[in-house]
Amino acid sequence: MIAQLVELARRRADGGADALWRRFERTTVAFEWGRLKSAGITEEAGANLRVRHRGRVGVAGTTATDAAPDELVGRALASAELGEELDLAFPAHAPLPSLTTFFDRAANASLDEVIAIGRSLLARLEREGCRVNVAIERETTATRVANTAGAGGEYRGTGFGVSADVWRIAGDDVLVVSDAFEGADLPSDAALAALVASINARLDHALRVVAPPEGALPVVFTPAGLSALLLPVTQALSGKAVLQGISPLGAKVGEQVFDLRVSLSDDPLRVGRTASRPLDDECVPSRTTCLVKRGVVQRFIYDLETAARAKTESTGHGTRGIFGKPVPAYTNIVLNDAGAQHAAPPQLGGGLLGDIRDGLLVDDLIGVGQGNVTGGAFSHPVALAYRIERGEIAGRVKDAAVAGNAYELWKRVGGFGNDARWTGSRCAPSVLFEGVSVARR
Amino acid sequence: MIDRLTAALSRSRADYTEIRVERTWSTAVTFRGRRLESATASEDQGGFVRALHAGGGWGVASFTSLDRLDAMVARAGELSRAVPVDPPIRLGDVPSHQADALLDLDGDVRGVPIAEKKRLLEAYNGAMLGVSDRIVDTLAVYRDEVSEYWYVNSQGTILHELRPDVTLSGTAVARRDGTIEKGLESIGMRRGWHSVQDKAAGFRAVAERAVALLDAPTVKGGTYPVILDPELAGVFIHEAFGHLSEADFVYENPQAREMMTLGRRFGKPVLNVGDNGAAPGLRGTLPFDDEGTPTRDTTLIKEGILVGRLHSRETAAAMGEQPTGNARAISFRHAPIVRMTNTYIAGAPGGGNFEDLIGDVKLGVYACGAFGGQTMLENFSFTAAYGRMIRDGRVAELVKDVVLAGNLFQTLDRIDHIAADFHWNQMGGGCGKAGQFPLPVTEGAPHVRIEEALVGGDVGGAGEAGGP
Repeated sequence: MIAQLVELARRRADGGADALWRRFERTTVAFEWGRLKSAGITEEAGANLRVRHRGRVGVAGTTATDAAPDELVGRALASAELGEELDLAFPAHAPLPSLTTFFDRAANASLDEVIAIGRSLLARLEREGCRVNVAIERETTATRVANTAGAGGEYRGTGFGVSADVWRIAGDDVLVVSDAFEGADLPSDAALAALVASINARLDHALRVVAPPEGALPVVFTPAGLSALLLPVTQALSGKAVLQGISPLGAKVGEQVFDLRVSLSDDPLRVGRTASRPLDDECVPSRTTCLVKRGVVQRFIYDLETAARAKTESTGHGTRGIFGKPVPAYTNIVLNDAGAQHAAPPQLGGGLLGDIRDGLLVDDLIGVGQGNVTGGAFSHPVALAYRIERGEIAGRVKDAAVAGNAYELWKRVGGFGNDARWTGSRCAPSVLFEGVSVARR
Repeated sequence: MIDRLTAALSRSRADYTEIRVERTWSTAVTFRGRRLESATASEDQGGFVRALHAGGGWGVASFTSLDRLDAMVARAGELSRAVPVDPPIRLGDVPSHQADALLDLDGDVRGVPIAEKKRLLEAYNGAMLGVSDRIVDTLAVYRDEVSEYWYVNSQGTILHELRPDVTLSGTAVARRDGTIEKGLESIGMRRGWHSVQDKAAGFRAVAERAVALLDAPTVKGGTYPVILDPELAGVFIHEAFGHLSEADFVYENPQAREMMTLGRRFGKPVLNVGDNGAAPGLRGTLPFDDEGTPTRDTTLIKEGILVGRLHSRETAAAMGEQPTGNARAISFRHAPIVRMTNTYIAGAPGGGNFEDLIGDVKLGVYACGAFGGQTMLENFSFTAAYGRMIRDGRVAELVKDVVLAGNLFQTLDRIDHIAADFHWNQMGGGCGKAGQFPLPVTEGAPHVRIEEALVGGDVGGAGEAGGP
């Protein structure tokens, strides 16, 4: 369908076109409150077309892929009539990196095998007074992209996700501890064991509730808890934020604004990650983008449109769904590439707790992403956090909040943990920051 | 279409089968600053099948190609048989309904050229930009859709509906040197083109407020008597309490069930809370939910006591209660789950107005509008759009960074005064749960007073200043 679509668009749009066609099949199994509850399948296909006509750009999408492609081209042209003028150049053909994105074991896993993974997790997570939810998802995708300048590509992919959450409600105290595996291949036994160990360790330490500390204190953020500190940075490193003039890093390329030990990259070529791909959704070949190197800002991410506006090149971050136009988005974000280990479950805190007399270990915060994120200031109540006393975890704290400015804190990092791991599409270790404001409620 | 669906149903070998098909036409226009960012028209279509064999779990299939309908009905049946469930899933009784419910489109958006929608939004966006040269950026979004909807189940229910939805939102960003403030306008209705005319004043007002906030001090953190305006009170009751009243949270979790035992006191006698999926003309309103159950007004808290909860057919049967018409799905891509519709704190007859709530407040905070909110069960955090101090019973200076955080049970119990000035907040956006976002919902409330609540933008005083 895509070749026909691009050909039709070429005839009617004088400035070229590009298109994405994607089909996916997803199998899901859900265990609710400790028992198998449902199994499902999703089959979806759709196409997204962008045209440039008389200097203006328009887009249209459809899941009615059996409809005449003429109709989709017509809608894209109607959208372009209203569109703003944009000097958008579709990239020419270029060689693609070779990358494995499809794993037979994940694609061929039977429903019974998927259910068995869930049952084995349930059995290992069940405990007195708790209820467990487990959800498993397996996806296979086929993607084709093409443009009128002769570039294009196609690839198949697999994805496998396993998430578990353990609920413990005692009176009005609600405790939820969760973790997830996400990868392109079936999880190994070691990966599942690590998931169980991670939940159990955090649950064991959470059973005892202690008073929160107060003041400017050393705080360790776990790989999951690090979101509040990384989100402002990744938002500020998006070319879109730079173009809008709202990025505090917009004029800082080449300057050292982070601790010398901080490096950050985006890597679409990481084997085994679901976000990995040989080319982006706008036909630009994938490559690793170094965002921050030894504390110095290197570059921002761009798709074709933001690159055209910024008079620079796309970094291969064009991402599009079936509806709407492409946007620049990260693939796999890696902080201080040390390689994630799943073999031996690491210690909670990544070995950073030993020297802390009194402080906090933060695993989950409430409200991350709300408010003026890009500015760097944050203030969040804790959802799951522990008090550290004399180098040991003393127990869970409730009714505490942490606050600070991400940019100030990243200037001087207290230490990086030895527990780098993937949480979703981000790989990071635990990080210790000094002088984070901790308040009791 | 109905014939095609009932024919597919008749071939199902499951004990219970339901099929939904949706065809949705939508347009979206976005302005950022003076620049039109996009204007698109989309067509989305697909189907959803759910099947249940005696002793089996739910077998579910969703698909975009309607040619696959029969295959998907068969597949859902197989999946149900593949997941044995003990004790079995039962469904609460709902009489079968046959209805052709075509909601009032109030100016069918499908007949309005997209260029006209662009002109409307451009005017509202211009109203924000025109306020001051301090407004450095705006984001304005117009979105409409009409969804044609078919639902059949093997118990004889046959529904055909036309569901409109139209939303407008505007964000105005004001900047002076390093200080950035924003104002947010949001309008949403289950209606059509006529209902979104003449709305420029609201867009202008939020831009003016963003500029005013540049000079406003950050609220001093601490505990205060806090008056919530109807918008924030509505968001609060939805986020902090509403989700706990969704029965899928409690029905198979004994500890949660105990926490949410009917008859438990949640607040003072002045507090009355409910969810009304049948209230006319609101975004959360539909004649039937996505299991074919008629919607209705369900009282959740009556005079401070928990008296009800929101159900699907499955949760109702499991708890020996009645289905309430709250099983909803955002689209054919998802199974219906227990959701809110139009959730409200009822106005207190004789509760007076806003002035009556602040008359005896020496020092307090009037928290208005909502930039966002999140709850982790009993803990919540909400960011108000802006606030005003209350001094000696009067509204005083504008303040910013008003964040309310606290414990749900304590906070509900500290609601000591509710005004009579109830209204529905007809906003866009929507509610998210279990990966299903945005679901159109509405919230409503009068002014509400909390006798003591923690307010703070900056909890510790450190790290506010600075930058890279």
